[in-house]
Amino acid sequence: MAPPGPKRRKLQHSEDNDGNSVSVTENGGPGVTGPTPAKQIASSNAQDHKRRDRTIQDGVYTAEVYKSNMFKLQVDELLQQVKPRYGKKEAPAENAMRTLKSIIEQIPSRAAISISEAETTFKSHGIVIPFPSPRPPQDAKYKLQYDRPSSINATGSYPLKIATRMDDGLTIDLVVTMPKSVFQEKDYLNYRYFYKRAYYLACLAAGIRECKDHIFKVSFDCLNGNQLQPVLVIHPSGDEGIDDFSSSKCRIQIILAFPERTFVDKKLRPHANCVRPKGGDEETEEKPLSATPFYNATLQSDATITAYLKLLHATNTTCDAYKDACILGRVWLKQRGFGSTLRRGGFGNFEWAATMAVLLQANSGAGGSPLSTGYSSYQLFKATLQFLAYKNLSKKPYVFQAPDLTFPKTDAPPPIIFDGPRGLNILFKMTPWSYARLQLEAKLTIETLGDSTFDHFESTFILKTDMLQYRYDASLEVPLSALQLDSTSEEYDQNLGEICRKIYTTLLRALTDRVTALAFLIPDERDWDVSASKPPEDQRRSIIINIATDPANANRAVDHGPAAENKKEAALFRQFWGDKAELRRFKDGSILESVVWSLKDTSAPVLEQIISFVLQKHIGVEAADKTRFISDSFAHLIPAGRIQGQSGVSSFLPCMNALAVVEKDLRALEGLPLTIRHIFAADPRLRYSTVEPPTTTMANSIHVPASLVIQFEGSARWPDDLCAIQRTKIAFLLKLTDLLSEAQPTYSTRVGLENPSQPSQNQAFLDVVAPSGFAFRLRVHHDREATLLDRQLKDKTLDGQSRESAAAALASYKRDFINIPAHTQVLQTLCTRYLALSPAIRLTKRWFASHLLLPHFSAELIELLVVRSFLQPHPWPVPSCATTGFLRTISWISRWDWRHVPLIVDFSSTFSNNPTDLEGTGPKGMKSEDVEKIQTRFEAWRRIDPAMNRVVLFAATNLDNEGTTWTNKAKPEKVVAARMTALAKATTDLMKAENDRVLSISIGEVEQTEKTEAFDPERVFVSHVQEYDIVLHLSPKHSTSAKKKLKPAYKNLQVQQTNGSSDVVCGFHPVELFVEDLQSVYGDAILWFWNPEKTDLIAGIWNPSVAGVRSWKVKAGWNSVPLFVTGKDDEHKEQGVEIQVNKGAICNEIARLGGELITRIEVNR
Amino acid sequence: MPSSKSLKPSRPTKSRVLSTPTTVSDFTILPLTLPTAATLPSIYASAKHYLYIKPHAPSQPTASSERSLFIANIPFDAGETNIRALFAEQLGGSRVENVEFDSAVPAIASIKRWKTADKPAGGESRGKKRKRDEDIVAEGVVEDKESRLPQIWEHELRVSGGTAVIIFVDERSCKGAWKEIQKCIKEGRDVSWVEGEGLGLQRYTTHNTLIYPSKANLQSSINAYLTQFNRAEIARNRVRAKQRSVPDEDGFITVVRGGRTGPARLEEAERHKVELEERRKKNGVKDDFYRFQTREKRKEAEGELRRKFEVDRRRVEEMRARRGVVRPQT
Repeated sequence: MAPPGPKRRKLQHSEDNDGNSVSVTENGGPGVTGPTPAKQIASSNAQDHKRRDRTIQDGVYTAEVYKSNMFKLQVDELLQQVKPRYGKKEAPAENAMRTLKSIIEQIPSRAAISISEAETTFKSHGIVIPFPSPRPPQDAKYKLQYDRPSSINATGSYPLKIATRMDDGLTIDLVVTMPKSVFQEKDYLNYRYFYKRAYYLACLAAGIRECKDHIFKVSFDCLNGNQLQPVLVIHPSGDEGIDDFSSSKCRIQIILAFPERTFVDKKLRPHANCVRPKGGDEETEEKPLSATPFYNATLQSDATITAYLKLLHATNTTCDAYKDACILGRVWLKQRGFGSTLRRGGFGNFEWAATMAVLLQANSGAGGSPLSTGYSSYQLFKATLQFLAYKNLSKKPYVFQAPDLTFPKTDAPPPIIFDGPRGLNILFKMTPWSYARLQLEAKLTIETLGDSTFDHFESTFILKTDMLQYRYDASLEVPLSALQLDSTSEEYDQNLGEICRKIYTTLLRALTDRVTALAFLIPDERDWDVSASKPPEDQRRSIIINIATDPANANRAVDHGPAAENKKEAALFRQFWGDKAELRRFKDGSILESVVWSLKDTSAPVLEQIISFVLQKHIGVEAADKTRFISDSFAHLIPAGRIQGQSGVSSFLPCMNALAVVEKDLRALEGLPLTIRHIFAADPRLRYSTVEPPTTTMANSIHVPASLVIQFEGSARWPDDLCAIQRTKIAFLLKLTDLLSEAQPTYSTRVGLENPSQPSQNQAFLDVVAPSGFAFRLRVHHDREATLLDRQLKDKTLDGQSRESAAAALASYKRDFINIPAHTQVLQTLCTRYLALSPAIRLTKRWFASHLLLPHFSAELIELLVVRSFLQPHPWPVPSCATTGFLRTISWISRWDWRHVPLIVDFSSTFSNNPTDLEGTGPKGMKSEDVEKIQTRFEAWRRIDPAMNRVVLFAATNLDNEGTTWTNKAKPEKVVAARMTALAKATTDLMKAENDRVLSISIGEVEQTEKTEAFDPERVFVSHVQEYDIVLHLSPKHSTSAKKKLKPAYKNLQVQQTNGSSDVVCGFHPVELFVEDLQSVYGDAILWFWNPEKTDLIAGIWNPSVAGVRSWKVKAGWNSVPLFVTGKDDEHKEQGVEIQVNKGAICNEIARLGGELITRIEVNR
Repeated sequence: MPSSKSLKPSRPTKSRVLSTPTTVSDFTILPLTLPTAATLPSIYASAKHYLYIKPHAPSQPTASSERSLFIANIPFDAGETNIRALFAEQLGGSRVENVEFDSAVPAIASIKRWKTADKPAGGESRGKKRKRDEDIVAEGVVEDKESRLPQIWEHELRVSGGTAVIIFVDERSCKGAWKEIQKCIKEGRDVSWVEGEGLGLQRYTTHNTLIYPSKANLQSSINAYLTQFNRAEIARNRVRAKQRSVPDEDGFITVVRGGRTGPARLEEAERHKVELEERRKKNGVKDDFYRFQTREKRKEAEGELRRKFEVDRRRVEEMRARRGVVRPQT
């Protein structure tokens, strides 16, 4: 391995002994041997050349060769981690291989015997010959025979050094090549080869089992789940003897191969027929026999095992980065749940490596090779993905060096990469759905890697993306028993395949563009003991069909079919839909065949209606009845959580409409000294992101009116003083009240006061209750305030306190008048663009609320967290229902290392909802410099405030790169943020357990799964009060849950006190005011937790720094009790007075402050 | 304050934490019995509150410090009324002139001031009852009864563990009160705390009415404010004008806002500088004119790449140190 590039460079450095050239070669990994260095050599100026060359070396990572330095460094680390060390750990396994080889070499040849003889012979050995189905005819004329193998070799990824250390352990392949002498020329026909192969394998099994000197556990399995190809699996004996290789954590698989050119290659081409119909060979002339591509390819794959070993090895020597790219591919495939086995989709490690090897070679007639040997591992990886993603291999097969090749025509052509020299379709094991899924995942990753702003290493290689609840929006559980197949019959495997294919095509046809992906999870098979025949499949297992939906179409009520005149298509349509199809006339005058589904709240989701209908019609009543349909399982936890029709925000529309009316009426007012320039919405209710959809004041008077910001046109007549500006604003509001009540008497208005402690901050607001019952709160925005505050901040003649207060005022000015309106506007658009965003935000807020964390986080911050999983959805597509949006957000929170990583949301990035039309993504959005800037700012904050007393979470967007707007002043505090992470981790663990449970229904032990109960989404939303030190139980009279009945009483009270000037109560929430008082009285001595949605309790925990005994201080900052404390030294017995927090008195104080609000105070600590 | 003497009676007990001390530092500790509440857990039913009291002795004595007591750790609902009542009814009937608290909830409005302009006479603490003389503040006006916005809370609360200075009508009543406190402690007499006014739900319902003052009240307060503001602005301008012309001890004249033409501002000057430089760049020699320029540029770019690579490498190393080796999730 001495590529020309680096060698030349090394030479140069030794030539010009320049002190600068240290560590240059260190940086250059194998990836730097790109085609570019060659050009550089031509440069005449040696000095100049050296410099430029080095530039390339250092800059190489930032260029296309690797995505970015970060990416490259992390990839290097990953490769190092997953490669097996080929050291001590693997040594026992290698020993075992050698032992096995010698055992096999010593197995004596057996004379040819007939099939029935063979079976009886082996019965005495205690071995059942693993004949594939259909079982061989007892009267077969040919004989079975064992001869010493022509060669025994290690093969597969292990000797090629492209294996990976994953949790499920290594599999080391040992290939035993059967001698030519065992076979006859016509053995490729009618399974004869496979019967002989099975016999040969049984002989090997018997030989290994009967070897007295060495003990191995032997069992049969099928190679890649293909029942034609049984293999021998050797497990470590576990007896800690010399042959025990348990410590290597691997298993050895003995694969059989036959020498090339045993059979005529041409006969095994995809279009040939190798399984003759039972009737006899004579009739074949008249009717062309249907091709048996799968059978042929299976046979051919046995012939080419060694050939592929050679090919991969050769590629490895010509292309340096090949090995690493293979490993990257393996990791990628593994994280997406792909595997070589038939049931996992038939695209695994071997297929990846072989595809890449083929693509690295020039295809005669088709120009150069798709991949270049000069590529870096990352480039190879990406280009291979690109090939898989954008080439439609089922429509246009990739044929490598096999000019005159024809493929059998079918209505659903399989994907083909035909490797001519070895005569094999590499993708022969793939199903239509696995190919579709492979393409989809490849596209998603290509799209991810195309984004240069953020680091996508994690989403590409680290994250396990096939977690069902994260990846898919709905799933179907079809018990195998419901399909009513005979698991003991010879055709079981074939029938199962066929029925899956049928379900797939039916669902695809029925669901059309409602879904973006359909993935099948078919139970895996296990190896079985050599002394038994292959066990029939456990019918209690299930097939799981996962569905990713397109929210824009998923809940559509009407499916349009062909026009009525189009007789032929209409008939087909009618045939498919049966009595569901109806002829309808539509608004545009067209008369179409169509299917209509119910959209009522009470009915099942449209998808479920469709699926159960088509399953019943085309698969069977039993299948439809026993199928369990799960979709959007969390949505019912919030009101209007399910996306209805084409909108996720319909429940917010009344409020939005009311806002439009109020805005119109305000703008129509005449006689205002200045005209209104803008009215901005600035409230979660006006951006579709409150848990409960907004209600009118009549229904609920607890909620504070929704905030609006009103800006008048500029004028020079405003005073140039902050305090005076605030008073002038009040004058404006009073004027507005007068004019509004004159012009629109149905409105009720009043001016309220706020911020009594900060005379330079906003002092007043105007509450407007529209006749529709929705209430709004207006605050005046005057842009001069920013300048004045800024000037005060810089004014050195002001005292420190004043400047501090100016800084605080500036921050809250920016937040209230600039950032919140901007944020509201962005969210309004995003919520209409991504239908699932609003429900996902609301569900996430409910999660925060039910864990009593909501008041510690600003609403905008939580919204940003959710928006992030929509705008940077990698490695998944954009979430399309509340559940996936919520779960992915929580999963991200659980992984978010907020101590070291800022949250960055790029609103300007555009990702389409449907991953199939991703090509149009332009270079919009944030630049990496912007991200860099935010990162720098974040690091600066961490340097200033390493203990995180002021800023804990850091959240920046492209609109607001300050990063502290929503989280300043320790909102949330460090403990609270840590609790958020802990709770999110607990939630993701629960989801992982649920995922494993679902998988075990399909794959694992059935006995186990019957015990575990079904998952209840509400478990994620339960909080335990015992964990808190103090719990204040509040009177139900004043808690929000009982608001409706009791409010009128207060209303009367209110009216009396305000002398009837206003008859509306809104925004009176005594519990909230109470908590605010508690917070300002006790400061950080007690941390309070409560749920603003359900105010039945307030929980508090003592600050640990307060709870201990402390030395006495005049101003401790909390209510204290003095104690005598004896010095530790017994000799002196010196007594001092120290203090401790006076919990009793504080509880008493709280009881006094809360009065009738509190029913009971519970103290746990 | 004979601290050693008062410690004696409780000495003999052997437990590590003994009964409540009666003094700490130079403070006397006065336990208060709290009003009972049914909602409390039984273990806290007889909890006591502890006041730390001493004669007021500020570092700069004021006119009233001789007749004042200093109390630390006051209850959160302490107000003038219940403190007055405490002394009048339970501690010898001394008459309190007024009480100055160090804190309030909601906090007392902070008024922005200039460094030099604000020197309260006699080092008075920044209490609620600060003398409202017509001093010139940096913004707005010092509000009086007319110009102040209506209060939105009926009663103030105190921050937990706050302090207060109690000013008695004369020195004698102060001394009397102090003696009475000592006596109380000696006799172990029960002194009970009277709950503050307007707590519980009432506090919040009242608040909810107070935040919506009548229009007339609001309007008149604003009118008064703006009139006073105009007056204050004139005074402020006078101060500014003075500042403009008076050199400080180093002989420099402070540049401040105002004046006929207005002195140059720092930001403006900087902006001009940037503009000027840009113009110079545009008209000057292009930076790829000389060979050395291209060479240097390339060198710079190279250095930048190298630096970035180093930064990234460090970042990845830090990441590894933080969360261990990278390993695909399972």
